[in-house]
Amino acid sequence: MKTSILTVGSNRANLELLSQQLQKEGYEVLSVASLEELDQTIQEKKNITIALIDLSGFDERIWDRCEELRKAKTPFIVISPQRSPLIQRDSMKHGASGLLVKPLGIKELMEYIHTLLGE
Amino acid sequence: MPRKQKESKKIDARVSTGIVGLDEIMNQGLVSQRVYLTRGGPGSGKSTLGLHFLTAGASKDEKVLFITLGEPESQVRKNAQGIGFDLNGVNFLDLAPTPEFFTEAGGYDIFSSAEVERGPTTQKIKEEVERIKPTRIFVDSATQFRYLSTDAFQFRKQMLALARYLTEQGATVVLSSEGSDEAPDDDLQFLCDGVISLETGPDGRKISVTKLRGSDFRGGAQSMRLGNKGMEVFPRLVPEAYTKEYIAEPIASGVPELDELLHGGLERGTVTIIGGPTGVGKTTLGLQFMKEAAGRGERSVVYTFEEGRQTMLKRCMGINIPVRDMIERKTLSIVQVEPLHYTPDELASMVRQEVEEENARIVMIDSTSGYGLSLGSGDLLSHLRALTQYLKNMGVTTILISETEAIMGELRATEVGASHLADNIVFLRYLEIAGEIRRAIGVLKKRTSSFEKTLREFEITRYGLKVGEPLTGLRGILSGGITFGKMSED
Repeated sequence: MKTSILTVGSNRANLELLSQQLQKEGYEVLSVASLEELDQTIQEKKNITIALIDLSGFDERIWDRCEELRKAKTPFIVISPQRSPLIQRDSMKHGASGLLVKPLGIKELMEYIHTLLGE
Repeated sequence: MPRKQKESKKIDARVSTGIVGLDEIMNQGLVSQRVYLTRGGPGSGKSTLGLHFLTAGASKDEKVLFITLGEPESQVRKNAQGIGFDLNGVNFLDLAPTPEFFTEAGGYDIFSSAEVERGPTTQKIKEEVERIKPTRIFVDSATQFRYLSTDAFQFRKQMLALARYLTEQGATVVLSSEGSDEAPDDDLQFLCDGVISLETGPDGRKISVTKLRGSDFRGGAQSMRLGNKGMEVFPRLVPEAYTKEYIAEPIASGVPELDELLHGGLERGTVTIIGGPTGVGKTTLGLQFMKEAAGRGERSVVYTFEEGRQTMLKRCMGINIPVRDMIERKTLSIVQVEPLHYTPDELASMVRQEVEEENARIVMIDSTSGYGLSLGSGDLLSHLRALTQYLKNMGVTTILISETEAIMGELRATEVGASHLADNIVFLRYLEIAGEIRRAIGVLKKRTSSFEKTLREFEITRYGLKVGEPLTGLRGILSGGITFGKMSED
């Protein structure tokens, strides 16, 4: 079975690019662009191996969803629009496995995911 | 062609830039299958230069490619049409951002543009180059490639690879770059085979070639104009580069007394200053030589800096100099030079065209002070020296009209310090004789022959110029206090 990655972000162009890159690497990708879509995905208990959450465009409610993911034992990486100690602290507090700052290097992102998946 | 270019050392096959003056300073154009950089600020003419380069190839049925990364193709076409370029034979690869880039569907920030776009951009260039097989490529602007590289080292490496790829495909490439102090483009200058810099200064637009691998080139800033003909380059005149065989015969004025005074006339390939106060008849005297030359079918040109063309025409008709007929028969051209419109190099280019293409044999600059005032700042005497030296080398008889401020008083040949340029100095003076203002003409210097040392009376009548018999017994000619008196009485 293919590894399934959930990508969360409000910018569809970002989601599209991210999907393309992940699919190129052989992952199955599920993208959601709003909190509602994310809620639905979490409720449906889909088989998600790992989640990538781009914070841009979301408010603090995103941290509640991060908690949900943590409860569901789904590892997730937070993607931040800027290098910020506050975001770093909150990400860790809500269970993030890592924090990446945009723009991401494609190679670095893939290495990070591989490491997280133990590949 | 009458001129011989001494600097014609052909090394490799040359590709014309499409701009005559630029080809001239680059020793007949770009060396083919190399990469050149044209750099300058916004509006400096980089794209115009590129359009000249491409259309010069397209007009010879060469395959040419315009790769645009900034302005969209439609905008480039519209701008080009505005300055008269025919882009029919020009292929475009439009890599400029589309309007969708700014909508949600197109704007992204998750990865850097270098990560996302380098691959597709390179692929598109490769596909188009292999499909069209262009011999000329213009990339506007290469600065955009910086955003497709993660760092300066990557940029240099990628640009080197691109340059190598394009030239190996058989193309001569011109890249544009918006180099500035804030965003230097030294890396591009290093990797390109030639660098053409464009700038605008207090003396107008300038173009300079600062590097040209494998070829000689003329250094220094040259005048450039951007107008409705696109870009025109006016290289600084290098008189030594031009020579012509000619017989240094005197050309007569057609007024026997005047020719006697000058012992035959003014020789070809000489420079004559006609000096004198306002209204004394300097221009008319110069035009008299042109009238006589027209009778022999020779062409003359007057560059008038002060008097309007129409005024000059009207005035000449009133004193039996048939300027309208002369103009009709193409034995005369009167060019009114608008103040501060041309640089000295542009004027020199106009003069060269007259001499080399229209075979003008007499050139008159009316006047030297007007030349100085109209052509702006800079080293005007050195420009005037180059121009007169060029005309001498080409066997042209040059007349410089020089107005002296004092109506009477001590004689000065010229007010602009140009007398050293002259082979001949002819002066006109007002005389007060028995309470009446009269005019006199004399010769102060004549390098190539002897001349009459006395003054003669000079009159402008409706029948033309009249020069009288030698005025003997005049004293105080040079000091201005002219009186009649015999030398023996001193």
